[in-house]
Amino acid sequence: MSTIHLQQLVKRFGPFTALKTMDLTIADGEFVALLGPSGCGKSTTMNMIAGMERPSEGRILFDGRDMAGVPMGRRGVGFVFQNYAIFTHLTVGQNLAYGLRATRRPVDEVNRRVSAMADLLQLTTMLDRPSAGLSVNILQRVAIGRSAVMEPSIFLLDEPLSNVDAAFRTVMRTELKALQRQFRQTMVYVTHDQLEAMTMADRIAVMDHGVLQQVGTPLEIYNDPDNLFVARFIGSPGMNLLQGQPVETATGLALDLGPLGQTPPLSAPQVAALRQAKADVVYGFRPELVALVPEGQGMAMPITFVERIGARTILHLGQGSASAKVVLENDAGLQTGQILHFAPLAHAVRLFEAASGIALKGA
Amino acid sequence: MKDDGAKLGFRLTLPAQVLVLFISVFPLLMQLYISLTDWSPLAGTSWTQAWAMWNTFANYIDLIYDHRLWSALGRTALVIGVCVPVEFLLGLGLATLFMDDFPGKRAAYSILIMPMMVVPAVAGYMFFMLFQSGGPINDILSNLIGHPITVAWLSDPNLALLAVMVADIWQWTPLMFLILLAGLAGVPEDQIRAATLLGAGPVQRFVTIVLPRMKTIIGIALAIRVIECFKIFDTLFIMTGGGPGVATETISVYIYKIATQDLIWGYVAAIALAILIVLSIACVWALKRMART
Repeated sequence: MSTIHLQQLVKRFGPFTALKTMDLTIADGEFVALLGPSGCGKSTTMNMIAGMERPSEGRILFDGRDMAGVPMGRRGVGFVFQNYAIFTHLTVGQNLAYGLRATRRPVDEVNRRVSAMADLLQLTTMLDRPSAGLSVNILQRVAIGRSAVMEPSIFLLDEPLSNVDAAFRTVMRTELKALQRQFRQTMVYVTHDQLEAMTMADRIAVMDHGVLQQVGTPLEIYNDPDNLFVARFIGSPGMNLLQGQPVETATGLALDLGPLGQTPPLSAPQVAALRQAKADVVYGFRPELVALVPEGQGMAMPITFVERIGARTILHLGQGSASAKVVLENDAGLQTGQILHFAPLAHAVRLFEAASGIALKGA
Repeated sequence: MKDDGAKLGFRLTLPAQVLVLFISVFPLLMQLYISLTDWSPLAGTSWTQAWAMWNTFANYIDLIYDHRLWSALGRTALVIGVCVPVEFLLGLGLATLFMDDFPGKRAAYSILIMPMMVVPAVAGYMFFMLFQSGGPINDILSNLIGHPITVAWLSDPNLALLAVMVADIWQWTPLMFLILLAGLAGVPEDQIRAATLLGAGPVQRFVTIVLPRMKTIIGIALAIRVIECFKIFDTLFIMTGGGPGVATETISVYIYKIATQDLIWGYVAAIALAILIVLSIACVWALKRMART
């Protein structure tokens, strides 16, 4: 077990900067997901932690010890590759024993640790099977076991579920989380799938274009995005974001959303933040946290498309350049072309500065 | 229905079968026939009349007691035993080197594979010149050692075979290099990284990951070179003509000499057929072994 400190980490590939000044502290035994779209620098960060890439600037510390110049074989890092990188010319047992044999552990220790690991991962009956042609869930367990048997203090997983079909992914997610609880190791998990990050991670680091956007627990990131990117990226569908100008109403300060009408009055801390910003703002709310209201109250937008996905209905709304989505548990017979009257729940409203995209969090 | 299909298939492939019969089976049968006779082009009769000189297996019994044949075979085996392993190790080393980037890699690559493109007869002539007692190789050695060297490489029975082997290694290491480079490039990068992260050093990675993954391609490379080396002729013949004496007389040179000088074609046919049979059996055995592992 080990803490990881990334300090002012920068990675450049020629003229291209893959990672711009990243600072992140990962606590001992913590499961952190690096989440972002492809090309956001998450795999680069992971490869630098593993020692496969050298940082252009900055430091990586394990338990306070600088890792610069420590080769990847000596970092005590377990790495599960996206394609598992199983040694297909060896048996399952030989795969599990590979690291122990490579580091010349005594034979009885190798046998003891391999069989313990095989027990834990339910691979005992497979030990003598050739590893070529095994199913993905077994390959995944072999890949994890092969690293875990070395008892690394840090475990890195690079999109281990991206090759798996959707139904199986659910099973494997649960399995992975259970394994992490058993091993109690510091884990860094790279993914572009927010569902994986949300369900497994203790904390999520959201990244985009080589910049760390926000670090927090899954709920913090979902409820209080730090900026417009996180607001849009997290959640499915993402947060609704509408441009607006502050306007005084009889009931208090609200936002004028142009043809969409006015928002309900803002809460006191938001008013305070808004008065400080004095700029164009973006009004954000989760599509799930919306109430239907009578005509004349709240906002009005025509329905452009109705997406029924069983338990929920997603209404696509659009007027001019503005668009929004509303998720209802019950579609109440709504049709395309109808005008939807709705208001976001007061506690669900988030404001962002339009120019910078940064959240206006109540002081 | 099915039988009809088989018949139709047979009829459709008949021209090809006749062609194969003509170009491969017929010469073999002709060779077998002549090998059972004392026929020679000097006999003055057509080969079809060779039955008049029928000697059953006398040629095959003769070859068992033919010392010149056995020493030619032994010499060929020595050439294979030295050249193929040296070419393999040099090729593997170079291929490993070329997996990493270094300045001038493309130019070095072009220069390295060039010997393979040289016509063997030309290569033979090049080395014939290089190994003259007043030639560049002696000049270089003289400069290195500091006093004049005048080794008669090609006319010293103890050194001629060495000179021939050097030429063969020069010409055919590039082929090994190319095949093994392709094999190395086929080893997945992730597996090597995974092995590194598990604590394996460069030698361990090479032995436990790279070599096992290249087993088939190494087998193919060695097989190609062993078969080719067995047939070594053109370079060697131009350099030494099989001499001095019989010092570099390999199996091909021996067959060439008895076929063109002694003109005992019945015996030549017997040797060629015997070698073909032995080599075929060895090949089948080696292929079966490779398929099993």
